[in-house]
Amino acid sequence: MTQTVAPPAAPSAAAPPVHRAGLRGALSRTPGRLRVAGVVSVLAAAAVGVIGLNAGLAQSEALSDADADTTQLVGIQDVRNDLVVADATATNAFLVGGLEPPEQRARYDEAVASAANGLAQLAGSNGADAELLGQATAGLTTYTGLVEQARANNRQGFPVGAAYLDQASAVLRTDVLPHLDDLVQANSDRVDSSFDSVGSVPWLLALGILALAVLLVVQVWLAKRTHRRLNAGLFWSTVLALAATIGGAVVLGSAAAKAGDARSGPYDATVSVSQAYSLANDAKSQESFTLIKRGSGAVYEEQFVAKTDEARDLLVRPTVDDNLVVLLNRWVASHEEIRALDDGGDWDGAVALAISEEPGAPNDLFAQFSTAASSSLESSAAQTHDALSGSGGSSVLVGWLMLVAGVLAAVLSWRGISTRVEEYR
Amino acid sequence: MTTTRPTRLGLAATLASVALLAGCAGAPAAAPAAPQERAAASVALPAATVCDDAIESTTSYAPAPGAATPSVDAIRARGALRVGVSADTLLMGSRNPLSGQIEGFDIDMLHAVSTAIFGDPNRLQFRVITSAQRLEVLENHEVDLVARTFTINCERWETIAFSAEYLTAGQKVLVTRDSEAQSIEDLEGLGDQRVCAPEGTTTLERLEETYPGVEAVSAPTHTGCLVLFQQGRVDAITGDDTILAGFAAQDPYAKVVGEAFSAEPYGVGVAADQVDLVQYVNGVLDQAKADGTWAASYDRWLGALGTAPAPPVSVYGR
Repeated sequence: MTQTVAPPAAPSAAAPPVHRAGLRGALSRTPGRLRVAGVVSVLAAAAVGVIGLNAGLAQSEALSDADADTTQLVGIQDVRNDLVVADATATNAFLVGGLEPPEQRARYDEAVASAANGLAQLAGSNGADAELLGQATAGLTTYTGLVEQARANNRQGFPVGAAYLDQASAVLRTDVLPHLDDLVQANSDRVDSSFDSVGSVPWLLALGILALAVLLVVQVWLAKRTHRRLNAGLFWSTVLALAATIGGAVVLGSAAAKAGDARSGPYDATVSVSQAYSLANDAKSQESFTLIKRGSGAVYEEQFVAKTDEARDLLVRPTVDDNLVVLLNRWVASHEEIRALDDGGDWDGAVALAISEEPGAPNDLFAQFSTAASSSLESSAAQTHDALSGSGGSSVLVGWLMLVAGVLAAVLSWRGISTRVEEYR
Repeated sequence: MTTTRPTRLGLAATLASVALLAGCAGAPAAAPAAPQERAAASVALPAATVCDDAIESTTSYAPAPGAATPSVDAIRARGALRVGVSADTLLMGSRNPLSGQIEGFDIDMLHAVSTAIFGDPNRLQFRVITSAQRLEVLENHEVDLVARTFTINCERWETIAFSAEYLTAGQKVLVTRDSEAQSIEDLEGLGDQRVCAPEGTTTLERLEETYPGVEAVSAPTHTGCLVLFQQGRVDAITGDDTILAGFAAQDPYAKVVGEAFSAEPYGVGVAADQVDLVQYVNGVLDQAKADGTWAASYDRWLGALGTAPAPPVSVYGR
């Protein structure tokens, strides 16, 4: 093999000086220069197409990443919400004492089932999150075990049940929720960087302007050299490349703008409402503990105030439906009635109010807030999804169109230059 | 140098407290402590009169019918007696999950005080506290009375006052049903045993100081210990027989073993500056001990420990 390859190597080693002299010679003559100009303009025109295709594909990918990460983020927050709903329900049911109301039991079961489903789906949809989700799932198993133990003891009238419930809540807050909070952070970072790329991709097209400038320079040079004002091929090539770049910029830019709107609109609302909803449910558990701890609940009340204040700050953001903060405030006001009764020494009255399912009672007001928050969440998450998933297709299409335009422009350029070269034959 | 001084003082105080505990935490029957220990205690502690040869820890203020009772009047004016209790110590003070009411032997004593003040046993405003909170809620006047398996001892007399003794409990051990241990010494012999006691109790102090052969584990409440026991994270629980009886009632796989190795005189805790309230409570307790109310409560809650003994004799002279 090496022997058969070696012989041709000798002439080629001797060739360069000849070739170089030939190239230099060719460049010193007009047809040679024309050919070089042709190659340059073909490359410039093709570059417009290639850049366009890359930009289109990159934006489509960034959009689908943003969409997937947003979905994952919303999914994790959903699971987090399910868990705090379950805990708030379990602790509130505990206040009732004796037989817990079947509707509350059903609400707890539903929330836990939904959380467990959610955890499994989330682990499947993003490998990067799987480890933390696994830890959260393990914590959830411990949590539900402790709640059942609390329930079994409670049912027999054993006060140790309250201690199990206490431990269950502690496990939820140390072994489950922190993992989910880490994941929420990681996903929201990913969403942010995807949104950033969606926004920055159109700037890639600025490179297209460079290519257009090259085409113009070639034409000016050609006009001087050949004393003709316009070269039809190059002219139409430039027009085509310019049109493709502008068209691409418009389409990709509008997709970026749409994504930007989604980010500062429904996406922001989704994240804010979801966090606020989670905080409110957490506060609801704290409310039950202020009463379960009967008189020693000051720490829990501080937590309640801190969490509802934080929720309120999130709900007054301009992207969020104004009605939600009104509903939250109404519930917090009813919570203050419970505190007033308890602080006034009427613990029984406070508990009766806290567990009442009457219309207008704290549980009812909380349910109104929950329902409104959930439906607002659903619609803003759907809007975000629509905004992100709709533009991806057009970005890809415009990318391919720009490639076609670039190739056409390259052919036109070459034909334009070729005509001039022919004249020298 | 200056930084070491508080530590040294703290150490001295701790030693003095230990001496006091050893000296007079027990019932009147407890052996008298060595004289030099008493001397050390009275030197180190400003309130030297909390306990001495003449005043046992269980000595309280004698009822004084007819005397002015400003603290009781204030409670009556408020319309409610604020009490610090346990809500998870079955038999002594626990929330009945079926009725939602807090009930038990300690609670019965408080109902008696409420009846005496208001003519209504239910003018109680409960504040559920942990063992560790008992002293501070009285020092801060957040409650009027604390009845929460509260052992009377000299160290506590330094900051608060106690009623006369209303129940004599004794420290025992709770182990699993198949355990052969009969005492903490047996557990020490087995080696590698974890024994639980609640934070801020005389039980935990004694466990850590007297039984280095077992690993002392603390939980926020007695019931927290039961959770750890049921989860297999501790091998035994030590505590007053009254409390352990409540645990055994909740867990058929637990048993209380051996003889009591300490006497724990229970008293109602009152703020140190409300002597008139202490006297008033003592009057109520004496009445309950005399008229059979005490025995009825004992039979109702602590029947598992045997038939009602004679109520502890109130000792006065402070």
